[in-house]
Amino acid sequence: MIDWQAIIEEHGPAVWQTAYRLLGNHADAADCFQEAFVSALNVSRRQHVQNFSALLTRLATARAIDQLRRRFRRPDCSQDPDDGSDAEDEALCPSERAQQRELAERVRQLLNQLPAQEAQAFCLRYLNDMSYQQIAGAMGISTNAAGVLLHRAKARLRELFELSAGEVERG
Amino acid sequence: MTEKEDIFEKAVESLRREPVPPGPPRELADATMAKLAQCSASSSSEDTDSYVSQRQWPKAFAGFGRIAAAAVVLIAAGYAAGRWSAPRPPDMEQIRAAIEPAIRQDLLDQTRQYVQSSLANGYIQVKDELSEQYRQDMSRVAVQTLAASNTITNDLLRQLIDSISTVQVTDRQRFAAALEQVESNRLRDRNQLSSALATFAVRTEDELMRTKKDVAQVLSYTLPNSGTPYEFKNPDNPDERNEK
Repeated sequence: MIDWQAIIEEHGPAVWQTAYRLLGNHADAADCFQEAFVSALNVSRRQHVQNFSALLTRLATARAIDQLRRRFRRPDCSQDPDDGSDAEDEALCPSERAQQRELAERVRQLLNQLPAQEAQAFCLRYLNDMSYQQIAGAMGISTNAAGVLLHRAKARLRELFELSAGEVERG
Repeated sequence: MTEKEDIFEKAVESLRREPVPPGPPRELADATMAKLAQCSASSSSEDTDSYVSQRQWPKAFAGFGRIAAAAVVLIAAGYAAGRWSAPRPPDMEQIRAAIEPAIRQDLLDQTRQYVQSSLANGYIQVKDELSEQYRQDMSRVAVQTLAASNTITNDLLRQLIDSISTVQVTDRQRFAAALEQVESNRLRDRNQLSSALATFAVRTEDELMRTKKDVAQVLSYTLPNSGTPYEFKNPDNPDERNEK
């Protein structure tokens, strides 16, 4: 019998951070948080889970990327500015804060355009600081495959970023 | 190229370092726990139903396999036709995206109004209570101060009256003593004066009597060659008269 209360208390903050960092607002992060735990419950029914931390982080990343896809498919895909106001970095000046927020939002938009596995691998590596082995274990693939996914994801993301930067400069 | 790569790395770093509020909130954890419990309950009931049906299925429906399969095909075809001809269900995501900002804004406005009215009422109430308490404290302090000052004033007046009375008694005693002294001096002077007058009168009388005798004796003497009493050559000279 799995003690989900203890799992939520132990791994909840990491799941919350993963979801909030990718989604950037409270409502979507809360939905993603719940979906990640429900998915973990379904996974635990099918198989024995040894590492809940890695599983929950991967599921939260996957659900967050799904949320991002749904968000950017909508015609009004603007983020609610009220939700992120209480989590702003006080050490930065307003212009730097605005630039940082704009860059982060652009990465969110570009993550939406990557294949799901590449986006997951990229987020697990560069946002959650997981090693190649951890990514491979969490995604159920080999370490080499994880490396390939990361390489492709980064190259594709850089290409998309340059394209979008060029469009911004031209526009 | 290097600058673009730097911007890309900076963008990834910005997303990585973007501040995240501490969480999850307690309500979210509780709601997640409730949802997990609900999913567990529904799943276990589904498992039980499927277990019973699997046990009874060979006996109850063994002869009707083909009929059931045909019925299933018919039902599926009917469902597909109905689904195809039915109006498209509303997109819940779109509806939610349309009404969520308005609901959230409305909720925020209502919360803000409620908090502001509560704060205003609380401020007025606290202000009235503080004013009333301040007035009561001031009245109590004024009454206490007045009572204390009355007591002190009465004490001082009593002391003043006592000192004035003491001084008056002392002055009366001194005045009476002075009057007695004056009276005794007057009596003594009168006695001395009367005794002196009596002595003077007695002596005067004695001198007068002796003078009379002397005059009578003088008159009784007669000078033989002059037939007249001795006459002073110079009556104004006392030495000569004394010698005589």
